[in-house]
Amino acid sequence: FGPCQVKGVVLSELWKAFWAVKNTVQAQDNITSIRLLKPEVLPNISDAESCFVAHALLKFYLNVVFKNYYNKRVEFKILKSLSTLANNFILIISKLQPSQENEMFAIKESAHRRFLLFQRAFKQLDIEAALAKAFGEMDILLTWMEKFYHQL
Amino acid sequence: HVTEDTPGLLHHVKFQSQNFESILMWDSGPTSPPDTVYSVEYKTYGQRQWLAKAGCQQTTRKSCNLTMETGNLTELYYARVTALSPGGRSATKMTDRFSPLYHTTIKPPDVTCVPKVRSIQMMVHPMPTPILGEDGHQLTLEKIFQDLFYRLELQVNRTYQMHLEGTQREYEFVGLTPDTEFIGVTTISVPTWSKESAPYVCRVRTLPDRTWT
Repeated sequence: FGPCQVKGVVLSELWKAFWAVKNTVQAQDNITSIRLLKPEVLPNISDAESCFVAHALLKFYLNVVFKNYYNKRVEFKILKSLSTLANNFILIISKLQPSQENEMFAIKESAHRRFLLFQRAFKQLDIEAALAKAFGEMDILLTWMEKFYHQL
Repeated sequence: HVTEDTPGLLHHVKFQSQNFESILMWDSGPTSPPDTVYSVEYKTYGQRQWLAKAGCQQTTRKSCNLTMETGNLTELYYARVTALSPGGRSATKMTDRFSPLYHTTIKPPDVTCVPKVRSIQMMVHPMPTPILGEDGHQLTLEKIFQDLFYRLELQVNRTYQMHLEGTQREYEFVGLTPDTEFIGVTTISVPTWSKESAPYVCRVRTLPDRTWT
């Protein structure tokens, strides 16, 4: 992810974990007219900004989406995928070390605005709908991550 | 997904996609009269508006080509079909969220197998898709899937096969016996998306060795 390097993550494992539950989770999202990871949030992110955005999004998925999903009564299949995804996200976040240098302030601010777009859209929905939608949009997140994944 | 449903008018509304040629398909139900007509709408996930697909309105066909409408690989899509029977009964059903990258399957490659005296050349031809790049040109599968590679196998006999694989387009199996039949099998593999094409099979005979010994 631009200046940040992450090794030891096999992206296809994340894909397989998501594919196993994709149709189940996406079928729980009946709001087809709202997308959380909008085109303004992810595409056309500069390399430098990508580390900040990835860090913020993955932390949100860990601390809000996956955490709340664990508390719901969901099928074992979903829990199994959730733990694979969560474990990999923990690994990625631990390796993503966004720079804290002053000259990165503008880039960090831009990344934070993008993340806020996503978070605001999430908060505008009922929590159950928001969780299902965020989890169902993992393919959008993974497709975006894959662009940087191949640049190593 | 069911929006409004007169039981038995409409079933199995789904996309079928090969090399990004994406066709919406559906079945009539057990109780739908033969002159039931169907109308198709589609939209990008996250958009409010459903768009009517021209050419698939009030049709008796049970498929509709939505290739161009689903041609942006960064987007996800929905489609829905409304069935209307002569008696005024209607039903509408929507697809699952359609991701061209995820859902498309890979056709067998197009390969030319060229026999020589002691080798067989296999040339894989590029596979254009209907997806347009930023420059307006059709993208090939290799361009879309960065980790795409070819897997080639030459069956020499029942127990012995030779294997080659790679991302280039030209391969040659060497050290073969002249004037002998071989079977060449080529498949396309895309690991990240766990995709693999059906095989392309060619049956080819090496040339007789006419050199004086």
